[in-house]
Amino acid sequence: MKKTFTINISGTIFHIEEDAYEVLQKYLINLKNHFGTDDEGKEIIADIEARIAEIFSAKTGDDKKVITVEWVDEVIKTMGTPEDFAEEEGEEESIESEAKRKRRLYRDPDHRVLGGVCGGLGAYFNMDPVILRIIFAVLFFVTSGAALLAYLILWIAVPKAVNTAQRLEMRGQEATVKNIEKSIKEEVKEVKESYKKFKESDTYSKGKKSVEGAGDVVYNIFKVLLKVLVIILGILLVITGFFGLLGLISSMVIGQSFVSGWPLLWSPEVHVPDFLNYFVEPGTVTLGMILVGILTGIPLLAVLYLGTKMVFRYKSNNTAIILSMLGIWFISLIALLVISGTQIKHYKDRSSITNSQVISCDSCQTLYLNVAENKYEDYAELDWDIKDFNVYMVDGEEVFVGKPELDVVRSSTDDFVINVKYVSRGKSREDAKENCKEIEYQFNQTDSTLVFDPYFFLGGKEKWRNQEVYITVKVPEGKAIFLNDDMDEIIHDIENVSNTWDGDMVGKYWVMKPEGLTLKENN
Amino acid sequence: MKIENTKAQMRKGVLEYCILLVLDGKPLYASDIIEALKAAKMIVVEGTLYPLLTRLKNAGYLAYRWEESTQGPPRKYYELTEVGRNFLGELEESWSELVDAVATIKTNNT
Repeated sequence: MKKTFTINISGTIFHIEEDAYEVLQKYLINLKNHFGTDDEGKEIIADIEARIAEIFSAKTGDDKKVITVEWVDEVIKTMGTPEDFAEEEGEEESIESEAKRKRRLYRDPDHRVLGGVCGGLGAYFNMDPVILRIIFAVLFFVTSGAALLAYLILWIAVPKAVNTAQRLEMRGQEATVKNIEKSIKEEVKEVKESYKKFKESDTYSKGKKSVEGAGDVVYNIFKVLLKVLVIILGILLVITGFFGLLGLISSMVIGQSFVSGWPLLWSPEVHVPDFLNYFVEPGTVTLGMILVGILTGIPLLAVLYLGTKMVFRYKSNNTAIILSMLGIWFISLIALLVISGTQIKHYKDRSSITNSQVISCDSCQTLYLNVAENKYEDYAELDWDIKDFNVYMVDGEEVFVGKPELDVVRSSTDDFVINVKYVSRGKSREDAKENCKEIEYQFNQTDSTLVFDPYFFLGGKEKWRNQEVYITVKVPEGKAIFLNDDMDEIIHDIENVSNTWDGDMVGKYWVMKPEGLTLKENN
Repeated sequence: MKIENTKAQMRKGVLEYCILLVLDGKPLYASDIIEALKAAKMIVVEGTLYPLLTRLKNAGYLAYRWEESTQGPPRKYYELTEVGRNFLGELEESWSELVDAVATIKTNNT
């Protein structure tokens, strides 16, 4: 018992067995691919179908016989396959020479699950596409989706093998090491031959000919070198593009919390979007990130595309895609510039607030200055380029701290006075002042000992607006200070009579004399 | 240089001439043309004919009309156009020239 289908060939209805149907369908698809889909090709196919219908009609007769595989095979034999046509028409590319074609990368429409990329790669590398599919699937999970992107790029960039010539190219001469070696050897032989010619022409007839010969030799050597170079460069470009994209995607995607649990081979330490939150208004962070992603992603895509093209030497015509990519890139660039412009506003004005505190310690002759322990020192520090600012990871959250500067000057009164000056930028003077108020800085006094924190916090909104904190210790004449060893962490350019460098001032007593801060010799 | 290739090239050149010859004087439909060419052993597989017919038609040497058939769907009948007839005349001329040329060489050799 066999299943049959009812089919309509060129207006006539036939009953056909399932296996026969499959063979016939495949044959017709092959013919379509051979003759093409333009008007001429369509007409040829229509004529051939009419003829096939005629042959079947004659066979089935009036008693409604069912078409079998044998009949279909017979029809194919009568009509001929695309290979037969090529032979009969004596085209330049006969079957033998087809097999010698250099292999090119195409997408395989006959063996496809999605775009036929794995099928095509399988044909190119002479592998079972299933293995490649498994590799792609595994890569997809390991690289958190970057492999999918690579797949999509290949889908877009690699052409589909539509006609017979392309199909033959797809399975053409194997691109094995042996074959590459062979083709390079052929090139080298060519070089040798032209060198020999050059030598002969040099010994027999000097002059113009030898120049031409020399040119030939140089040209051929150059050609071989160039081919090898292009392949190496292509591989390098593919690697660069792939890992660049991988890094970009993971740093962008992992920054968003909803996928942070995904397994990763390579995970960046810096969580870019979180990081930007210190500078930029929250709403613009996402948009800015997307723009930055596009701006860096498109060139990386281009690099990857170029690389695969150099290695696999496939033909493609994607002017529209390339142009639109270029367009998107420029639009992103402009958008990012505009956004940056609006953000720079936030740094327009600068303002400061100074808090003065008189140290109430009448009996103190000497003030001991210490630095509090940096409680963040044990936490991981993130890479950061802005001077005097640090970002620490504390319990999974970044803590953004600035480094204060401390100076020592003469007091105009008879008391020790501590001035703390908060400086910040903002979009207006008032805004800058508000930002100053947000800054949190602390020092503690116990009798004659002052303990300064080695860091300050940006405050509630935690936006970096180039906040600064300057501490000024005012010392009345005749009184002294002791700079503890750890003070060199925050002291900055303290003026003294002996012009002693900051680092050498610590661990010593300094007296404020009429001429200035002087080292106390006998402590 | 392969012998099959040379043979095929020779046949390819003559095939168009033969098709026009077959159609000279009477309109025929594809199967009749195939019969005639097969009988003369000019083609092996039928699929070769259709692209040629279409190309000749597009070049203006052939025209076709649909004719009802007693058995099955309507058939495409091809016939020579005026341009086609002139073309055939030229081909005939160059064919006899070729035949003469080959004959001359053969007789001179013997």
